[in-house]
This record gives sequence, structure tokens and C-alpha cells, in this order.
Amino acid sequence: MSGYLYWIIPAVLICGGWLYLHYRYPAGSRGRTRIRWSIRGLGLLSAFLFLNYTMPSHDIVRITGTDSRLTTIGWSNWLFYASPDSGTAESTSARQIRLIYAAFPDGKSYVYRNEDTGWIWPPYFKYDSSDLQAEASNFVSTSENPKWVMVTHYGWRQAVLSIYPNAVRMVPVAGPDAKPFPWLNIVILVVLALILLMIRRVWLQFRERSVDPMVADASEVLDGIDAQADAARANVRGVIGRIGAWLNTWRKKP
Amino acid sequence: MIAILRLLVVALVLLTLVYFVTATYLRSTHREKLEKQWDADPPAGQGETERRVFIDAGMKSYERGLGMKLLWLVYILPLIAFGLIIYTIN
Repeated sequence: MSGYLYWIIPAVLICGGWLYLHYRYPAGSRGRTRIRWSIRGLGLLSAFLFLNYTMPSHDIVRITGTDSRLTTIGWSNWLFYASPDSGTAESTSARQIRLIYAAFPDGKSYVYRNEDTGWIWPPYFKYDSSDLQAEASNFVSTSENPKWVMVTHYGWRQAVLSIYPNAVRMVPVAGPDAKPFPWLNIVILVVLALILLMIRRVWLQFRERSVDPMVADASEVLDGIDAQADAARANVRGVIGRIGAWLNTWRKKP
Repeated sequence: MIAILRLLVVALVLLTLVYFVTATYLRSTHREKLEKQWDADPPAGQGETERRVFIDAGMKSYERGLGMKLLWLVYILPLIAFGLIIYTIN
């Protein structure tokens, strides 16, 4: 329970910051415009980063080895590992994680992790990490006699956070110069764009057909209420005036 | 096993939401089209009652039409995508 209390701190900071900015930069001021554009920029940036993390990408590499390592998953990087209920991850804090070591054609080395994905996000539905690890071990080759493979993966390698991209698929290719065309990414982006456009159209239609008439009705009702209120006020004034007159009759006459 | 059941339940709820939102949207656009069609060229001597009858008839035939049947794709397409992903990844 007390853990949830810590959420009060960011909540207070966000609300306080919002209030401060709201009154420091009133509507129409230059600061307000800048803040608005910064928030839009941040939104776009996070959408880009999110897609960049989740979308599949392809590397042409040579597999140099496979390994597994007992890894502690902490508060800083849990987001970038499989959720505890997916096949290969039984514990939230520490688990055995399969790693695939690889080298790019230019000699730079790289590390993938090989974990089942959960059932919902990211939607890769991968349950065969053991098979993938077997394939990877089979593809291990030396620099004198290289076997090139195309690894499909999502995620980032970030040494500071100790996070690795998750390898999803592995197919042998002819040589280090193979250039896979990102058909799948184009399809995904087009579908996402279509869904966004559809949401926009549905919202506009909803506003035109449901919200606007309702607002019009409501303002009519409000006008009605105003008129009634004026009448009532006049009426009350009349009543109070009469009471006052009646009270006055009790006053001592000079 | 529990995880796949959870996924199916979540997917069912979300897709049902999408289904109803899309259905409402399609009905709304069709009704608007019928209204505009009537208002652009209202037959002489016919008033609000005939307009409503015309629109109701049009909506009724729309409910039975191809558009509402194609709406089941809202359920079918994601399931196909789900199956394809599972098949190609594993």
C-alpha cells in the first residue's frame, strides 16, 4: 500500500507544474504557444521511439556464439524484458536469459537476447526461443569461413540499462551484402495510418452528428433557464418587497 | 494457457468495442447521406413524415446490405493476422 503513496509525488509535481505554467503563460501568450508545440513534439518523439522499439528490423550478421546468463531485472529495465508470465520467464527479479552473440560484416559485435514474448505486447507471439537458440547454435561460424544470416529483431541494445534487442527469426542469406526490403514495416505503417485516419473520421462524424446538436440543444436549454431565472428573480424580488412592506406596517409610525 | 485465454478475452472485448463503434459510424454516414439525398430534391407536397419514412426504409435496406455483413471483418481480419504471425514466427 505504502508503495502507491510514492505516486503522489509525481502526481503533485505534474499538477503543480501544470497549474504554474497555466497561470505563468496565459492563453494567447508566446510562452503558451511554445509549450503547446513542445508537448506536440514530445508526443511525436515518443510515438517515433515507441514504433522504433516495437517494429521488426533486420540485420545481416554472422553468429559467433550462444550463451545464457542469470540476469537480474530491476526497476530500470523491466519494461524491456519479457513479462513474468511468458514461457521462458518465470520470475520478475532474476531469470536465465538466452543470449546470441553476433558480428556485423564490418566486424562490430552485437548481442541479442532470445526470450518468448508475452501474449499481448509486443505482438510477436513468439514461443519458440529454444528452437531459435538451437538454430543460432547451428549457424555459429568463424570469420575465416563465415555463414551470414538475417536476424529479425525488435528492441534496442543499451549497455547502460543492460537491455538487448529480442531476436525473433533467423534465416540464412547468400552474403553480407543482402539487402532485405522492409515490406512488412511498410504494410504495418500503412495500416496504422489508415486506422488513425479512420479514428479521425469517426470522431469528426460523431462530433457533427451527436455532439454539435447536443451542444445546440443545451445552449437553448440554458437560454431557457436564464429566462426562467430572470423571471424567478423578479418574482422573488416581488415577494421580498411585499414581505418588507408587511414588516414595515409593524414599524412605529413617527 | 491462462495467458492465451486472457488474450482472447481482451481481444474479444476490444474487437466488440471496435465493431460497435464502426457500425455506429457507418449507420451515421448512411443516414446523413439519405437525409442529404432527400433534402437536395424533396418531392413536392411531402413533409416531415414522408421524409422519415424514406430514411427509415433506406436504413432498413442498409442493415441487410453488404456493408453490415463486411463489418464482421472487424473480427475476422485480426484473427487472421494473429494466426499468420504465430505461423510465421514459430
